[in-house]
Amino acid sequence: MKQKLCQYTKSRETFKRATKVIPGGIYGHLSPAPLVPSNAYPFYALRARGSRFWDVDGNEFIDYMCAYGPIILGYHHDKVDAAARQQYEAASCVTAATPVMVELAEYLVDLIPIADWAFFAKNGGDVTSFALMLARAATGRKKIVMIEGAYHGVAPWAQAPAHPGVMDDDHKNYLRIGWNDAAQFERVVSENAGEIAGFIATPYHHPVFADNELPRDGYWQKIEELCRKRGIVLIVDDVRCGFRLDLRGSNEYFGFKPDLICLSKAMGNGYPISALVGTESLKSVASRVFFTGTYWFSAAPMAAAMATLEELKRINGPRIVCEAGKKLTDGLVQIARGYGYDLKVSGHPSMPYLRITNDESMMLHQDWCGECTKRGAYFCSHHNWFISTAHTEIDIEKTWDIADNALKALKNKPA
Amino acid sequence: MNRELIKANLNLHAVLKNLEDLVVYDSETAAFVENWNVSIQFIIWNGPRAYCVFERGVCTVCRGRHKHPSVILLFISPKHFNRMMNGKGHPILLKGFTRLGFLKTEFTRITERLEFYLKPTDELLTDDSYLDLNTRMTLTTAAFAVREIALLDPVGKLAASRIRNGSVNFKILPDGPCVHMRFQDGDVEPGKGEAEKPMALMSMKNARAANDFLNGRTDNFAAIASGDIMVRGQIPMLESVALILDRIPRYL
Repeated sequence: MKQKLCQYTKSRETFKRATKVIPGGIYGHLSPAPLVPSNAYPFYALRARGSRFWDVDGNEFIDYMCAYGPIILGYHHDKVDAAARQQYEAASCVTAATPVMVELAEYLVDLIPIADWAFFAKNGGDVTSFALMLARAATGRKKIVMIEGAYHGVAPWAQAPAHPGVMDDDHKNYLRIGWNDAAQFERVVSENAGEIAGFIATPYHHPVFADNELPRDGYWQKIEELCRKRGIVLIVDDVRCGFRLDLRGSNEYFGFKPDLICLSKAMGNGYPISALVGTESLKSVASRVFFTGTYWFSAAPMAAAMATLEELKRINGPRIVCEAGKKLTDGLVQIARGYGYDLKVSGHPSMPYLRITNDESMMLHQDWCGECTKRGAYFCSHHNWFISTAHTEIDIEKTWDIADNALKALKNKPA
Repeated sequence: MNRELIKANLNLHAVLKNLEDLVVYDSETAAFVENWNVSIQFIIWNGPRAYCVFERGVCTVCRGRHKHPSVILLFISPKHFNRMMNGKGHPILLKGFTRLGFLKTEFTRITERLEFYLKPTDELLTDDSYLDLNTRMTLTTAAFAVREIALLDPVGKLAASRIRNGSVNFKILPDGPCVHMRFQDGDVEPGKGEAEKPMALMSMKNARAANDFLNGRTDNFAAIASGDIMVRGQIPMLESVALILDRIPRYL
């Protein structure tokens, strides 16, 4: 079936206006810069519902980025929106804290085995930075071990060295090691005996522009053992994976117990909220480290998070997104094979990273993702995708059709 | 690594490299050097070496030592060389005394011409032919500077350490010029023209867009999104190269 190709006239007009008043036009992770080719992508959305969004030009997309992770139940989920609306109407940003904050903390403590307390903020980066402060406050040590190429937000410590605004001193007490290398961790711990406050890592390695890597058998258990032995605070940055692999925390999925878990994204299904949960032993220090933000007590996102988590539990959300992701990517792999392409899927099925391996430069893969997007399936070539429980069989079948057409177009394209 | 030494490396290996294009694309210089037959060795004490050869209207600038240069210019320090590049110092002539007049007049004339093209004013940039050559030279300077910054500047080294093996092409559309940088196990080899099978491409819509981009007069992310600058392939390689390029104004 011939598919209409999206045009982006209004997106481009809006962007032109934006460049005059906003640095980069659109900054940060929504910047169009890594969307290659940029002319294949919409820049501005007008509305969204379920698994889809519509851009300012009226184009409709089956969205496989889900706002880069927050949307797990689909856009504008009725129960979540109703809970948020009700709380907004009652009280959200107020002089005093609201009871929903306590209810949400109690819910998380019940849901997540390692959690004895919860602390709320707005973004993943808020709680990763807070987690490091807690590790330092608790141990009196200064060094943090982290994984090379991992993403933990945009604070200077979390950015790669040499980037604008990041100083050498920002990285003075951070030791970067390779993913899945417990032996290297052991070496670093031994070389810095008594100096390491914490180890922070995502449950599995999900960098951009590279295949994602699950932990090797025994990796996390070895890390946990070393942390316990050396008094190092074990921190899991579950911001991206959280509630997608296992509602109890991705650490349960991989069979280990951290001291702190950083959560955000899927937690509020689009409402701005993040959380740090931790063990009893760190509760007292968490109360002593001063850390806050203007909107961190907003109650409506907390109500939305309660509704999101309850709904995810009710429907077993992680199972649904895992199965949908597996079905989608299995089909795509088959379709690509029919054109002589090897489409590699890495990471967890609920947030898969895809790459056509035939071309190491990624240009072919970028072209394919761009062609799919122009046909209505929003594919990102540099970042893992996200599946929501709102992605239906019909969505998946339509996506296969689009992927097939896009590959056909690429095959017919002159070199 | 001291600043003067890095600057000397940049001047010698990236800026002087533009003599090659000057004799081709600037008709005044082309006519002037048509009959030159001279090889000039630059030696910087405790610093880099390079030479340029003028032969039948063609200029070639290379790293290292020429076997039989007709002229040898010595600089007692990187700072001494940098002063000469700024028009404030003179080299010590070690060989080629009969060419003293040539160095004082003819060679100085083309280095002044080079400076004219490398130090644009807003008014000069309104002229299309000036813009084209200034852009071409800026592109060449950028590509050849990447090697020096990547190997010598501490922040550049850090950025370069994250670059995977493979080539990156920078091209001005529709018909060039183009430069490439080949990264291999920590080494960088810049060159003119396109590398085959690049891992990443940066194409600039035209000379004007390229000039704005290369001289930092544009919002890079906005330029990429709007299509003035087009990127493809292993974008992290381009990001790291951009971090290295950001360091050039600290020296030049």
